[in-house]
Amino acid sequence: MNSVLVVSHLKKRYGDLIAVDGVSFDVMRGEVFGILGPNGAGKTTTLEMIETLRPIDSGQVLLDGLNVQREPQKVKQRIGVQLQSSSFFDKLTLTELLLLFGEMYERQVDAPALLEEAELRDKAKSYVTQLSGGQKQRFSIAAALVNDPVILFLDEPTTGLDPQARRHLWGVIRRIRSEGKTIVLTTHYMEEAEELCDRVAIMDSGKIIANAPPQELIRQLLAKGFTKERIERLANLEDVFLDLTGHSLREE
Amino acid sequence: MRLKLKLMWAALKMFMRQREAIIWTILLPLFMVFLFSFVKFDGLGHVAIGVVNHSQDTTLVAALRTIQALKISEGKTEQELLHLQKGERALVLVIPVAFQQIGNDSLTLYLNAEKPQETQTGKLIIQRALDELALRQSHLPRHMLRAELVNSRNLTYIDFLLPGILAMSIMQSGVFGVAFGFVILKKRGILRRLLATPMKIGDFIFAQVCTRLLILMLQVLVMVGAGVLFFNLHFIGSIFNMLLVALLGGVVFLAIGFALSGVSKSEDQVAPLANVITLPMLMLSGVFFSRENLPGFAHVITDFFPLTYLADGLRSIAIEGATLVDVLPQLFGLTVWAVITLFIAIKAFRWE
Repeated sequence: MNSVLVVSHLKKRYGDLIAVDGVSFDVMRGEVFGILGPNGAGKTTTLEMIETLRPIDSGQVLLDGLNVQREPQKVKQRIGVQLQSSSFFDKLTLTELLLLFGEMYERQVDAPALLEEAELRDKAKSYVTQLSGGQKQRFSIAAALVNDPVILFLDEPTTGLDPQARRHLWGVIRRIRSEGKTIVLTTHYMEEAEELCDRVAIMDSGKIIANAPPQELIRQLLAKGFTKERIERLANLEDVFLDLTGHSLREE
Repeated sequence: MRLKLKLMWAALKMFMRQREAIIWTILLPLFMVFLFSFVKFDGLGHVAIGVVNHSQDTTLVAALRTIQALKISEGKTEQELLHLQKGERALVLVIPVAFQQIGNDSLTLYLNAEKPQETQTGKLIIQRALDELALRQSHLPRHMLRAELVNSRNLTYIDFLLPGILAMSIMQSGVFGVAFGFVILKKRGILRRLLATPMKIGDFIFAQVCTRLLILMLQVLVMVGAGVLFFNLHFIGSIFNMLLVALLGGVVFLAIGFALSGVSKSEDQVAPLANVITLPMLMLSGVFFSRENLPGFAHVITDFFPLTYLADGLRSIAIEGATLVDVLPQLFGLTVWAVITLFIAIKAFRWE
């Protein structure tokens, strides 16, 4: 087993509220691991503890063999982080921002290549404020890649995006994965998890209640004798929308 | 070091690309000086005298008109008295028909009771003009004053005002610039994103502070330069001393800005706090007007305002050519404030 991230018995409490209640999971090198759950389930808090942004109450996180609590600086060197409301300085162009973030990791950055990866090449001289929602999220991923991280953390990368922008972003995430990066993402869209993730952990009220590949979880459910009353529909309104506005996912 | 320089360069670029920032820190103070350059607060001002001349003789009126300190207007008795009641005249002089012919009593002077200083001055000048007329007729020998012009530096209101406005703009850009800037960085999650990088956050603060101080030095150079070039500022001090005092003051106000951004969650919370701190200083620290006229206790309290130290220090250097030794009290005051405010800033500052 080649685990790049080992989380054991992670806990976080805010006053009376137990936000994360003994969470454990492993992430394999090269996989896309999804943490699913409704708002307030503790997904973001879990990620932020792994990312060194929030103190860990108890439990342990080993990232690429490093103890997150003991060696936060080294951990920061190895992770790429996209926060839920990632935001950047106003009056710097995308290229300038990428170069500046590179400096923070003491790295020379190939900004055009990163922008290419996020399909933002023609926006190199724009400010973040001039980008659409989807472009912002893609830039935020490009910025998370400046240090060529071992693991990329994406916190609800597609929340608030329209279907086209969401599919566009999925394309970017798949390509990054195909280049061998490990990705941990949170989402509350089941469809997204099914589409992108090799394995998912389902979280509710601070606990992980299931952890397996999506198809496996579905098999388990069906094995319990679950049947869903359904009307056969060969297409839905989203398909209509995509058909009308173009499958090629034109730039938003 | 490389990272610090890159961060500073980025911060400078951002500042230069932000039109509002340049307007607030550089252009607005200059505009204020420009506006105030039209106001004449210099000297005693004029004594407004209404003259009602019933006689044919105009020698007295002509003599009075040559005196620069007076503002003479002629009219009818009722009119002029009405003006006096409205406060537009300090005195009204009524010259009778029989003026110059008899020589005793004859002239009537109405005084505005609300303007004792002006009426006294006006009365003396009129009496003096009358004596002059009488002496001319008598041909008696008399003592003459021999007047010689001495070149003085005739400091104007602008000389007082410009260093004050400079101090004010240092305060405003320090307190408001930093407080708003950091609250926005905090609120929009930019600071959090930076915390996720291995960059030492101290480097980031260092770069921010250095950039602000660089901009502050630019403010000093632009204000003094524009003052000398366009506003006839009698600058005789050392620009290096100016920069030094300005930097020390800058540290105090930057620290206040950091402290405010530490205790506030949003722009809405920062604005009132920043105003509560800066407005009293703006009014009472001798930026626009000398503190001489403040009542005793206010005078004593405002002595200790950081803006007072900064404005007084900059002013003495600029127009009195004060050395650093001369402004030692101000330097000391600002240093004490710097220690206090930095301590509070470190205690109050929060990353999220």
